[in-house]
Amino acid sequence: MSEKTTRRAVIRASLGAGLGLAGLSALFVAGGLKPKKEVTPESEPPKKGDLFVVAEGPNKGKVVTVDLLPLGGPFVHAWPMDPKTKVVKNGERNNLAMLIRFNPDDYDEETRRYTDQGVAAFSAICTHLGCTVSEWLADKKAFMCPCHKGIYDPRHGAQVIGGPPPRPLPMLPVKVEGGKVVADGGFLSPVGPVGTLGVKGGWV
Amino acid sequence: MSAYEWLNERLDLDRLNKKFMRKAFPVHHSFFLGEITLFAFITLVLTGLFLTFNFEPSARIIKVAGRELPAAYASVLYIDSLPFGKVIRSVHHWSAHIMVAAAFLHLLRILLSGAYKKPREINWFLGLALLGVVVFTAFTGYSLPYDAFSVTATQIGYGIGASIPYIGEWIAQLIFGGEFPTLHSLPRLYSLHVLWLPLTLMALIGLHMLIMIKQKHTQPRYAKAVAPGKILGVPMMPMQVSVMTLLFLLYLGVLFILGGSIIAHPIEAYGPPSTSTPAVKPDWYFLWIYGILQIIPNTWVIPLPGGAEINPEFIGGVLVPGILGLVAVILPFVDNRKTKMRYVELPSRHPMRTSVTVGILVFFLVATLAGWKQELGLSNATLWTMLISFPLLAWWVTYVIMRAIWGRGGYEDLEA
Repeated sequence: MSEKTTRRAVIRASLGAGLGLAGLSALFVAGGLKPKKEVTPESEPPKKGDLFVVAEGPNKGKVVTVDLLPLGGPFVHAWPMDPKTKVVKNGERNNLAMLIRFNPDDYDEETRRYTDQGVAAFSAICTHLGCTVSEWLADKKAFMCPCHKGIYDPRHGAQVIGGPPPRPLPMLPVKVEGGKVVADGGFLSPVGPVGTLGVKGGWV
Repeated sequence: MSAYEWLNERLDLDRLNKKFMRKAFPVHHSFFLGEITLFAFITLVLTGLFLTFNFEPSARIIKVAGRELPAAYASVLYIDSLPFGKVIRSVHHWSAHIMVAAAFLHLLRILLSGAYKKPREINWFLGLALLGVVVFTAFTGYSLPYDAFSVTATQIGYGIGASIPYIGEWIAQLIFGGEFPTLHSLPRLYSLHVLWLPLTLMALIGLHMLIMIKQKHTQPRYAKAVAPGKILGVPMMPMQVSVMTLLFLLYLGVLFILGGSIIAHPIEAYGPPSTSTPAVKPDWYFLWIYGILQIIPNTWVIPLPGGAEINPEFIGGVLVPGILGLVAVILPFVDNRKTKMRYVELPSRHPMRTSVTVGILVFFLVATLAGWKQELGLSNATLWTMLISFPLLAWWVTYVIMRAIWGRGGYEDLEA
């Protein structure tokens, strides 16, 4: 021990080292604040072969068939359902779809590719700030999000025709099998407000 | 031996009395705005305690009387069923509104009387921080009843937070426990609302008042004529304390009449969250931001490197309020004085500051009006014209009128 090593220096060094180490280890604890996503059968994304069940209203829980969808609108909110396990995938809000039926000729060519017998499916989560798109404008034959009045045209791939949303609602390709509407894949683009990194960022 | 004497022998109450309890409070009606903010906070803490005893911060679906409801929603229905439950919940709700309003008016008083100048800059910054935390605390309370309205409103807040380039999603997911709404969202928002944010508020309020006591209040102008160079006011004990107690009781009385006659946020009417979104409008203090969000076209997108972008939600929800906050922060660095300020400045003697403040207030009002764009049937072009021209006009007219009435120049002579 050199002459210069004073009590004060030792106390300072141990205080500094102790506080520093405590601070560093606190970072590990703070790591527990990172949200974690638990994927359950109910929260899995829709996939090819899924059926749809009506989400709300008198028909709630019924499997969506073509004749449940009035020609020319309005739309029906529906959750995807695994056909084997019969699990309704309503544990993840982003799974909510809007099903609608027009004459096949009413769609533009690009949109028609993802429809069958005039049935089309879109995400129901507004691309603006993530509200549920829930209003039907009968005169415009368009969807409207009540939060900031974003309007989407289902016959043209849910293009934005009014209000602030930055991009169309993602489509979900469908097929009609034995009258039932069946998913022919997942959503074609990210659902909801796209993360600020272009693709979905964040922890979960 | 009286209780006072017994305590005095042990705690030297006489000294405490002489040193602190005789502190002089200057008298002016506008000086009560800060106190009303404090009373609102105390009321919020007391009514909030009652609510926490009965509230269940969970979004899990439970069966209640044959209905499937989120546990939080069901527990608020339970609170409403308790004696005075609805009234206490309403008082909590209205008191939050009054706290925001009183804090803002208090800020206006400080701004218009120049009290942010040396030596009170620190308290100006603390006050701004307090306003921010108060508004954020109010927002975290939105989600708790977990009805259709509150979930949608919180959803929008999540979207605005997530719109910050690069870091937004991380910050928003940290606060909301993932992508709102998840089952992990309510515990986190609840903890923030009832624990962390109130603790922060208490610490900031304590510091705010300690510094105020240390630096002394600004004096009203009449104090200069009555007792130049002296602190003029009524002593804390017994006069100020009596006035404050009366004001607090009056506040409570008014709030309970209000809460008893107007039930806040009727959650049964809104219903539990469903796939049909209610047409939500935010509370009045967010309406100006909501209005700006409504009139920014979706073409205002500035791409950033790495696929990120500056989008309309970021501009309206973060950038505009952020810039206003920044202006408030730099104000004491731009407009200050060399000597310590003792007496409040008269708004009439500072035509530029007063008229710019009027212009900013008109900006808030027009932006709020834009929140009713649909109902009023106004076009974006009209609203943009109004949003830019009305504040400028208000500023210019106020300035010209003030100069015409109070003359040109010579303002400096009146400063002390």
